Amino acid sequence: MELSRRQFIAGMTAAGAAWLAAGVACRERSPDALTHHPDTSAEGETGTLTHFNADDAADVEAAAARIFPTDDTPGAREAGVIFFIDRCLTTFMADAAPLFAEGITSLNRSVATRFPGVTRFAALTDEQQDTLLRSIESTEFFGSLRFATIAGMFALPRYGGNRDYIGWKLVDQQSVFEYVPPFGWYDHPDNQQALLGRVL
Amino acid sequence: MQPQPTGRTFDPADEVDFVVIGSGPAGASMARELTRQKFDVVLLEQGRSFGPADMEHDELGAFITERWTNQSETQPQTYRQRESDTARRRQFVGYAKAVGGTSFHFTGNYWRFRPIDFTEYSARGGVDGAALADWPITYDELEPYYTAVEWAIGVSGLANAAPGEPPRSRPYPLPPLNVTGPGVLLTAGCDKLGWSSMPAPMAILSREYNGRQPCHNCGFCLGFPCEWGAKSGANFTMVPEALRSGRCELRSECYVHRIETNAAGRVTGVLYFDREKREVRQRAKAVVLCANGAESPRLLLLSANAQFPHGLANSSGMVGKHFMFNGAALSRAEFAHEINGHRGPVVSRISHHTYELDPALGFVGGGGFDFRFDVPAMIMALSLPASEPQWGSAFKHRLRSWYTHSLLCYAHTTSLPVASNSVSLDPELKDAWGLPALRTTFREHEHDLRMYRWFQARGRELLDAAGALRIHDDPINDDPGFTVHLLGTCRMGNDPRTSVVDKFHRAHDVPNLFIVDGSSFVTSGRGQPTLTIQALAFRAADHIGQFAHRRQI
Repeated sequence: MELSRRQFIAGMTAAGAAWLAAGVACRERSPDALTHHPDTSAEGETGTLTHFNADDAADVEAAAARIFPTDDTPGAREAGVIFFIDRCLTTFMADAAPLFAEGITSLNRSVATRFPGVTRFAALTDEQQDTLLRSIESTEFFGSLRFATIAGMFALPRYGGNRDYIGWKLVDQQSVFEYVPPFGWYDHPDNQQALLGRVL
Repeated sequence: MQPQPTGRTFDPADEVDFVVIGSGPAGASMARELTRQKFDVVLLEQGRSFGPADMEHDELGAFITERWTNQSETQPQTYRQRESDTARRRQFVGYAKAVGGTSFHFTGNYWRFRPIDFTEYSARGGVDGAALADWPITYDELEPYYTAVEWAIGVSGLANAAPGEPPRSRPYPLPPLNVTGPGVLLTAGCDKLGWSSMPAPMAILSREYNGRQPCHNCGFCLGFPCEWGAKSGANFTMVPEALRSGRCELRSECYVHRIETNAAGRVTGVLYFDREKREVRQRAKAVVLCANGAESPRLLLLSANAQFPHGLANSSGMVGKHFMFNGAALSRAEFAHEINGHRGPVVSRISHHTYELDPALGFVGGGGFDFRFDVPAMIMALSLPASEPQWGSAFKHRLRSWYTHSLLCYAHTTSLPVASNSVSLDPELKDAWGLPALRTTFREHEHDLRMYRWFQARGRELLDAAGALRIHDDPINDDPGFTVHLLGTCRMGNDPRTSVVDKFHRAHDVPNLFIVDGSSFVTSGRGQPTLTIQALAFRAADHIGQFAHRRQI
């Protein structure tokens, strides 16, 4: 995954193509096909699903919540990432829909085998879920799930996830259009003076 | 920011003075300068004219779903390393697809070249496997146009701030942007090593200028349009000025696929598909091609006909050859305190200490450094070093630390012109309009790989000197992965056998066809080409206008 970081760093973009294709079934579409549904995240827990059924959504949401867990700060569950993923699979990641369907089925087959009496991934404990996810870390399904979860944590809320900018707040990114210096510790004039003997 | 003003309207059957293809820094400047000389211009742009509502902090759109860039589904590409390979489908070349071209979403690094960049071949000699040559123009010939661009669009910087800076006839019109944490740390590293550093020259306003707002430090810069209109991109400067002249019509979402010629071998106009995919023929007395270093040669090759069987303006066989980008060596580093590079401009300080290297090192060319904010949160989360946790609570907490406490050390370097590195037409794959897809053949020259590694080692020294806690090098190999800065594919020169355009950007083979953009470059410079592209356009427009007034086109 590190190989082609340069495409982003160089100022671009997109066709994230080579980069994403590596382990992430994500097919780019023309702008008309990219239109996501309007933002429903403002409605809180009542976001509606159009792709997943309730059971599959619960499993995907549980898995996303192991990628960005809820701990001392909110995670994928609170950010409504499941609604982002649900929309992805009918829009720009539509090609990955079969991969997700097979991935969920296969995951639950493992659940039944390894944890007799349990039928759904969502019903496992956090530790059991982590154990199972570690066993599929190198699969294309997990790669796509991880990609979609991360995208859903940080994409604009109107795409369905990142509710109330929970993802941005996690990294101290604010939804503002203006900052006033000093931006951090190093550019504070006192610290410039200490570091450089002058203020730039 | 304001929506684009309404320009004039021409009929396609009108033989206008000039059709300009592409509205980026080259094409839009050409339109602006030609209208100032009282010529009528139809400015054709394949991308959309994005308005204020499109200027969002949309990381998904910017980096994943190709909202503002060339599109893989409708504009697929192929790539191969060697001419003997069969090219496979892969998006290798990227550019903004929008009115304003790549200046729509650029970072705004506006370095001038130095005199050595134009004469390096005669000064330093050649390299095996590279087609090095001197430029047919000198720094002194281009200097007035560098200055004209800086003042026309608004560039922030500090003149003569470090040794070795090229001579200039005027200072910058605007003082430097706010210094950022990465800028302070670069300076700390340079101070300790005894290197020079200076405020970065940036095409972003530090103060109000020509009625436009200054930078508000929002941080969504590299890859994003500017909601304040503070980036001095062509969409905020050259395009509206050309339209306000009353002599220019902008037609966006118009994809030119053929430049037409007559029996005399002169250009008569262009054929394009409009947004409804209807084919339109616009007649013109002359055409100026400014479609970028990949699409300009592609259009010349697409324009082949019985009279020009190998493509228009290609009797030399040089169209599409010598495809260059700028080399890069990258290292990420973590520091003890908050940097918060996601606030403020991406780059605020640079070092050109390594611009011209000791000949004993055996390198042709050189480079410069900046420390900068790496990438926004989504892309950062997707690309933490492999040694870091990739999911779970530890990942989540490390990500926050990376976002606030890390930076990217970026060395920008020369890359050599190699004849077999090229743009051509794919023999199989077609785009959504049924036209042959762009095919890139590219492999890094061994000299360049050696130089990138040398620069990465110097970068580590800079980071160490600045107090980095941990350093992670990005790998360097002979496939750059994905590229911007599209250079060299219709090179300038005095000899029609070895170059495509003359020193005034006139095609050697076609008297009323001019080609001005990154494709004109003979060598790649050191890393930041856009100011030079734009200065070339200002200079070319000056000469083209004089030719037209003297009826020498």
